[in-house]
Amino acid sequence: MTDTAPILSIQNLKTSVTSGGDTFNVVRGVSLDLYPNEVLCLVGESGCGKTITALSIMRLLPDPPVRIQGGSIEYRGRDLTELSDKEIQQVRSSQISMIFQDPLTSLDPVFTVGHVITEIIRNHLDISKEEARARGIKMFAEVGLPDPERRFDTYPHQLSGGMRQRVMIALALVLDPDILIADEPTTALDVTVQAQILEKLLEEQRERSMSMLLITHDLAVVAAVADRVAVMYAGEIVEEAPVDELFSSPKHPYTQGLLRALPQVGYKRDKLESISGLVPPPQMMPPGCYFAPRCPHALEACWDEHPELTEKEGSRVRCLNPQPFVA
Amino acid sequence: MRRIAGRTIYTLIVLFVSSIAVFYAIRLSGGDAIAARLPASATVEQREAFRELIGLNDPIHEQYLNYIGGVLSGDLGKSLTNNADIFDMLLEHGLNSFILGATAFGLVFIIGVPLGMLAAVRRNSWVDSSVMTFAVGGMAIPNFWLALLAVWLFASTLGWLPSAGCCSPNQLILPAIVLAMEGIALTVRMTRSAMLENIEQDFVRTLRAGGLSEKRIVGKHVFRNALVPIISLAGLRIGQIIGYALVVEVIFGWPGLGQVLVNAVLRRDYPVAQFFSLVLITIVVLSNWLADVGYTVANPRLRKA
Repeated sequence: MTDTAPILSIQNLKTSVTSGGDTFNVVRGVSLDLYPNEVLCLVGESGCGKTITALSIMRLLPDPPVRIQGGSIEYRGRDLTELSDKEIQQVRSSQISMIFQDPLTSLDPVFTVGHVITEIIRNHLDISKEEARARGIKMFAEVGLPDPERRFDTYPHQLSGGMRQRVMIALALVLDPDILIADEPTTALDVTVQAQILEKLLEEQRERSMSMLLITHDLAVVAAVADRVAVMYAGEIVEEAPVDELFSSPKHPYTQGLLRALPQVGYKRDKLESISGLVPPPQMMPPGCYFAPRCPHALEACWDEHPELTEKEGSRVRCLNPQPFVA
Repeated sequence: MRRIAGRTIYTLIVLFVSSIAVFYAIRLSGGDAIAARLPASATVEQREAFRELIGLNDPIHEQYLNYIGGVLSGDLGKSLTNNADIFDMLLEHGLNSFILGATAFGLVFIIGVPLGMLAAVRRNSWVDSSVMTFAVGGMAIPNFWLALLAVWLFASTLGWLPSAGCCSPNQLILPAIVLAMEGIALTVRMTRSAMLENIEQDFVRTLRAGGLSEKRIVGKHVFRNALVPIISLAGLRIGQIIGYALVVEVIFGWPGLGQVLVNAVLRRDYPVAQFFSLVLITIVVLSNWLADVGYTVANPRLRKA
């Protein structure tokens, strides 16, 4: 993958939250490249900054209190952080699209799904209502919404969770974007529906030769769909690797902890594994490695020196003292 | 269907109970209908004969049954004060009240909704604070006081508008605004808070991700969602307007149902007071029913799939 140029390149992104008069960064210098045609998974626990990173790309941050403080997000020769409101509106959904976690609250309850998809199409393309309708119905059919003609004129509450998420995917893909950002797209769905939605997303990604940034905390999903994985901890990327490499030989102690915490079917342990300790609050990050307080292998130096992301055996790792993985 | 049937039965029960309450209350409130009908020079015998004639000496439950039987068979009776036909009074004064009430009802939304939107869009600015101060004032000032202030300022001091009377557009302005004021204030506050609440919703982020402009999202989607509670509660505004119409019509000398009712009660004109109370109660009950329907109309989530 690395021989082609990235389609989206995030450099040293810093995004801050202001709360009670204090401003602190929750994304602390994220650098990440997304290549054409790939599925890149961004994983990490809640609050690690993965959603804020994604919203920063789309410039959908609730500002105030959340705001980009620095860095650049380069897409097709333009820095998305520098675009005017009007320019970023043109990028959204026609070039970079996004779907969200909860498909019920994410759809406007008082308009039909057909009305909204028509509106989005006609916002970007100069075509008639009838053409837009035809295009919308075709898109609904493509994402597997049963009986799309009839469903076109229904309200979100009349659809099941899975169908709503299909509508979300249709809204995101109808203008044929280059990049799809999916933020926990299956978390709010029933387990049986999750697999169908993921399968649909992957199918669309392959057919459209689209790049997908999939945000999840579910490592089973990562193993199933990712080409490459970036692990975030406390607002920065701590490890980035091709998916096989990450699962067979995780290098950062946090990644290793995540993998150990995965319960295995048919293999009973006395006790579920967990990573001890808590993420430090964003105002009180230690000066050295952010993971040092919870790390089983922390050295003296880990408390003083903040590690950089460095190449190691095909991965990039932010660790001064990486240890081989023992499951 | 079942819902409508249930509502109808409920309405009939409310009307029945309130017809009894009104009937007894006005008779138990003391005073005498006879004094209003007969000249001061009438003798005790004449008064007693008239009392007998209109049935005031019968036991009260018999009076009630006679009365309600008459109303149900279409005989509303005549006014004790001027012998006018009550049905004719209803038509004449009902129309006046309708003009005033409908104007006030319209003003509630025509003024209230845009002001509320403006406050929401310019939140935490001086525009917002002025609108909200106006809204708090509108809710806090009792309408009889507001009526007096309005007459003093616009009629007596500035001389722009007439202080009372019926029924030219000029004479309509002051009573309609006074009558609408509390509704306007409530609508401003509701619109503002509903707008601010909806702009935080997840669906707004989806529409932004769809590339729609902020203007379109706020002006169309957020606004339409914010209208749900406002349309839903529109029926309740009708009830409120009818309640205040009694006071406002009397102050502005607007010859509507409220004014007739107040005069009838003061003169112990039983048939008029009874019937007009029932009319107003019916309208209030119907408008509550309308509020129910309005909620369904405004909110697709409550419509049948």
